[in-house]
Amino acid sequence: MTADADADVDFDVIVVGAGVAGCVSAFQLATAGRGVLLVERGAEPGAKALSGGVFYCRVMEQVFPGFVEAAPVERVITRNCLSFLNPSSFVNIDYGDQRLASPVNAVSVLRAKLDAWLAEQCESAGAMVMPGFRVDRLLIEDGQVRGIGAGEDELRCKVVIAADGVNSFVSRDAGLRSKDRTNHLAVGVKSVIGLDRAVIEDRFNLEDGQGAAYAVVGDCTKGVGGGGFMYTNLESVSIGVVLRLDDLKRRGASATDLHDGFLNHRFVAPFLKGGELLEYGAHLVAEGGLAMIRDLVKPGLVVIGEAAGLALNTGLTVRGMDLAAGSAIAAARAVDGALEAGDYSPATLGEYRQSLQECFVGRDMETFRRAPAFLEGTRMFNDYGPLLADVFHGVYNLDLRPRRHLLKTARAALRSSPVGWLDLARDGWNALRAL
Amino acid sequence: MKAIVIYKWARATASARVRESGEVDWGAAKMTAGDDDPAALDVAKAIAGADGDVVGLTIGDGEAAWALARGVATAFTAPQVGPLADESATAGALAQAVRQLGEVDAVVIGDDPAHPGVAPALAAHLGWPVVLAVGSAALSGDGRVVITRKAGAEVETISLVTPVVLGAVAAGEEARPPGMMETIKARKKPIGELSVAAPAEAVTSTQTRRPARSGAKLLGGEPAEAAAALVTELRGDGLL
Repeated sequence: MTADADADVDFDVIVVGAGVAGCVSAFQLATAGRGVLLVERGAEPGAKALSGGVFYCRVMEQVFPGFVEAAPVERVITRNCLSFLNPSSFVNIDYGDQRLASPVNAVSVLRAKLDAWLAEQCESAGAMVMPGFRVDRLLIEDGQVRGIGAGEDELRCKVVIAADGVNSFVSRDAGLRSKDRTNHLAVGVKSVIGLDRAVIEDRFNLEDGQGAAYAVVGDCTKGVGGGGFMYTNLESVSIGVVLRLDDLKRRGASATDLHDGFLNHRFVAPFLKGGELLEYGAHLVAEGGLAMIRDLVKPGLVVIGEAAGLALNTGLTVRGMDLAAGSAIAAARAVDGALEAGDYSPATLGEYRQSLQECFVGRDMETFRRAPAFLEGTRMFNDYGPLLADVFHGVYNLDLRPRRHLLKTARAALRSSPVGWLDLARDGWNALRAL
Repeated sequence: MKAIVIYKWARATASARVRESGEVDWGAAKMTAGDDDPAALDVAKAIAGADGDVVGLTIGDGEAAWALARGVATAFTAPQVGPLADESATAGALAQAVRQLGEVDAVVIGDDPAHPGVAPALAAHLGWPVVLAVGSAALSGDGRVVITRKAGAEVETISLVTPVVLGAVAAGEEARPPGMMETIKARKKPIGELSVAAPAEAVTSTQTRRPARSGAKLLGGEPAEAAAALVTELRGDGLL
């Protein structure tokens, strides 16, 4: 960018999208003394986010020291439960550990509260937060992004940061992303059920202020690729299903019917009994892992968070917000350096790509690059739940016949299962490699 | 003439969640522009005339630059007055603020059906007459304000002496909301801060009736089948 073009700007940086990624990058750059505009299409920050999630929030301490105490988080997650759910049985791997509370590793959050708080921090740091405006185009001159357009207005800046979520119209406008493959996308359908604080702690066996997160596979999706989730907020439970779009379409299943079926499942309904429906909604979710990440940088533009395809479902953990924050930190550092140098070329902004690859975000995306393909296997959703239940039924069903060793019981269960020895070996090997 | 437009003096009722107990949960809702606030601004501008003065006034934690982005030259806020359940107390706080803004010919406020008592109570606190449901206003040659309002199928025209409180109602959506540039420029302008003591509330809200809910119907099938089913449903409900 020339010196003239540099002088003719309204802001140093325009950040599009006031979610976790957008707010963290805006806060970092405003704190560094840069002129930052944070544009959000929702009426308020958080208005467009679907209710909340489990936030693996250790990264936020780098940005907001004392984050867990200061931010409006719901519960500290100290119980993680992987549940294989069948129509009339379930097998849970239930892990509770007080070490997860000190230091705090994960919290449940409601995004309407969290994003509003994050935007307030940005304003306090000097960023201008502008909700209620939809960025509908980029200003691109000679291949260089020089600002944004919203309706009749055009605003010029040195760097645009696209943090506008999984559908990122900004990065599509810049030619950095095309339409995603349907097996890289899932639809999440979620309800938030209001319950008394004490009732939640009783039903989920929790200490005061602590929370549980369930990842569920099997009967919650009736064989459709994806899974169920359930986590506790302070006075509500967020619960729903995430369904891979390609599989949902192939089977002609209804996402809302599967959601309703999960909430009314005989082993799930008791958690929610007497609760009050507070929110209900649906949202696209990035599920493609590393394969979804494409170009992250263009002259004058960087893409962060879910707009960059940064989301990771390992089957055990579903991560997005921590990756968003990590990418925002890396991007803010690179953009600050580019502003210092007065050079907004991919060579300088490319520092972001490099930092991302070296930090936990890029490394985890690489480590779990095989997870999406592994989770596309149908046996995980259809067969392993009943197989596990059959093994345990053989152990616990003392029907006066002589007992067998566990290995023989498992062999018998396997013989009556569609899962063969070869499948088991192959899936075990793939699981080890993917997860 | 000098007119004050009062805006963002309540939270949007759409932000409230009524629990099954009747308790109202406002969450993190802030004071926001009401549906009638743009109409109130139009009425204030009409009363002030081209040579007059429109002053913006808001309370609480809402974005005070709202009026500045819509062409108002000066705006004031009383941030220490939060949302109050007692409409007379809200009006009392607004009256305190109005008195600090000097001689005024008219105070215009949205005639919000969710808060029907505020405009009359404001007039009572100020000791001025009030006219509600105002649709439009103009200045007459003799220094009076002429307003029109709908009364059933008729349109009333009323000539008023000043000072007066007017409750304005919107006929539709805001004609031209400000763009991003206008909003950014407005956010950079100074906003005066008034010191207003939060009045004691004589009324508190403990619970409310839940709004009526109508069940949703999902019409499945192929698009053509769903469209046909929709038409049948609409005819069945007497809407077609």
